[in-house]
Amino acid sequence: MTVTAQRVQGPEEYLAAAQEKFLQRAYLLAGLFSDPEIFRLEKERIYARAWHFVAHESEIPRPGDYVVRYVADDPLIIVRTESGEIRALYNMCRHRGMQVCRAEAGNAAFFRCPYHGWTYKNTGELIGVPFHREVYGTEGLQRGEWPLISVRLESYEGLLFVNLDPEAVPLREYLGEATFYLDFYLKKSTAGLEVRGAPDRWIFPANWKLGADNFIGDAYHTAFTHRSTVEVGILPVPDANFHKDGPQAIVGPWAGGYVPNLPYAALYPHLIGAMRANLTPAHHAIMDHDLWQSHSTLFPNLSFLNAPGIMPGTPPVAYFTIRVWRPLGPDRMEIWSWYLVERDAPEEWKEASYRAYVLQFGTSGTLEQDDTENWSSITKVAKGQLARTIPLNYRMGLDHLQPLTDWPGPGQAYPVDYTEYAQRHFWTTYFEWMCSNSR
Amino acid sequence: MTAVTEPIHREIEAFLYREAELLDARQYHDWLALLSEDVQYELPQRVTRERSQGEGILDGTGHFLENQWSLRKRIERLATEYAWAEDPPSRTRHFVTNIRVSPGEQQDEFLVRSNVLVYRTRGDDPTYDILSAERYDVLRRVEGSLRLARRRVLLDHSIVLTRNLAIFL
Ligand code: FES
Ligand SMILES: [Fe+2]
Repeated sequence: MTVTAQRVQGPEEYLAAAQEKFLQRAYLLAGLFSDPEIFRLEKERIYARAWHFVAHESEIPRPGDYVVRYVADDPLIIVRTESGEIRALYNMCRHRGMQVCRAEAGNAAFFRCPYHGWTYKNTGELIGVPFHREVYGTEGLQRGEWPLISVRLESYEGLLFVNLDPEAVPLREYLGEATFYLDFYLKKSTAGLEVRGAPDRWIFPANWKLGADNFIGDAYHTAFTHRSTVEVGILPVPDANFHKDGPQAIVGPWAGGYVPNLPYAALYPHLIGAMRANLTPAHHAIMDHDLWQSHSTLFPNLSFLNAPGIMPGTPPVAYFTIRVWRPLGPDRMEIWSWYLVERDAPEEWKEASYRAYVLQFGTSGTLEQDDTENWSSITKVAKGQLARTIPLNYRMGLDHLQPLTDWPGPGQAYPVDYTEYAQRHFWTTYFEWMCSNSR
Repeated sequence: MTAVTEPIHREIEAFLYREAELLDARQYHDWLALLSEDVQYELPQRVTRERSQGEGILDGTGHFLENQWSLRKRIERLATEYAWAEDPPSRTRHFVTNIRVSPGEQQDEFLVRSNVLVYRTRGDDPTYDILSAERYDVLRRVEGSLRLARRRVLLDHSIVLTRNLAIFL
């Protein structure tokens, strides 16, 4: 195929051309990983409208506990009020726009603005204005009209999501049948999950979509990118291609893949009874095929991972991480990586599992190290003028794979994880959100 | 308790400089040989908190939470042909200063605090990463030579400003 030089093209035109190429041939234009104009539109069209994970309930167990979280650039205080209700408050004083909370986490009944001292209850209500009567006259300021802005917050199984768009559909409607697959991660125990520590946070020069695209369906990369980790024997798998023959499933805003021949009972002997009790016959049918649900992404930028690890002196363990690929710019992202574990897991298991996570994921993780290297390299080259026009191949599995007809779960599933159905689903969804003609 | 004499102070300083040299030269197996068998190597998470609520260091968490086995695995991995994160390798420079030594709790052990600044560049990228930290070490004399028995690195960042910690501090 020939590559023609780039004409002057606005972002709408580029997006429309990219969408057409993608839908027709599964070719993706690399400029989507670097274009500043497109990034601006992503903030408007995706980040201001979709549901975004911000915290797990266990991070703020007591009244007054709060954490500060972000949706792209928008700062939110996620706080548990005295009545136990959880709120998302926009971290911006209504007087001159100062951040009313400048810690990352803590406990507070009130947020007091440092600039002129307006004071808000942790429900957001404005309750104190210095020299109120003197400066706003005898009528006073209508304090009831100037609370911190509350942002919609809804939860699913302990996961707290926010949405900046008052018109957006409710979270449960957005998730739809994806909850079936989320339950594999979230309902392994009746005791629920807890976060250990805080999320690991780090910043590096890569486009946020590369994390989402990788976790949704790129099982293929494990065989090569992660070969070193397998070679030194810290993954309890026979070979770096351990994902190859597990199915891939897609439903609504979610898609992910499985590891074959890895029974839940082998990795979670302590949970298997609770999993049977908590989950449905369709889940059991998947478990009975010894399939272990590992990687996935919920559109736009929330990913999940179950992975196995080896620690000396214990049987193979597993760990669970949730990650947000927070966009900071077209070529910069901040990873937020949470480690979660079932509250009722045995203490030794929790410790071994956490150490396996630290060895493989998070800032120093051997698997994560190589992923971040790849994504920053792609982002760098995608800035080239010619790169904007170069199509990338997203065709794996397109010509020879048929969906499974006997998959027990909702949505569609394909027989192997070395295919790009899930990644194509991510990009199709992306174009639906981004292209003006499809909104 | 073993008193900290001037020669011991100098010996400890030389140990830390040697260690930094090995890390910058990526002679990781030689570095590992400077650690005791029961070494604990930790870099806890840190979050910003209000002053009244402490330093925000989260015990029991880690960017690193390592022992000799896991450090060896990391080092063996870096030596494979497929450790993309460090091949081509970063250029690093460890600047170790403000070394303070006091007697340890056990005979032949010393508590050593030091400040470390790590400068890192990769490829032909014109930018660089800087990590700043204070290290709380326990050095132990084993069969005549000093060994690092414990290191707790307190990073001066809550967000880690480098693409990964494929390097050691
Ligand atoms: S900006 Fe907050 S009180 Fe003025
Ligand atoms: Fe990966």
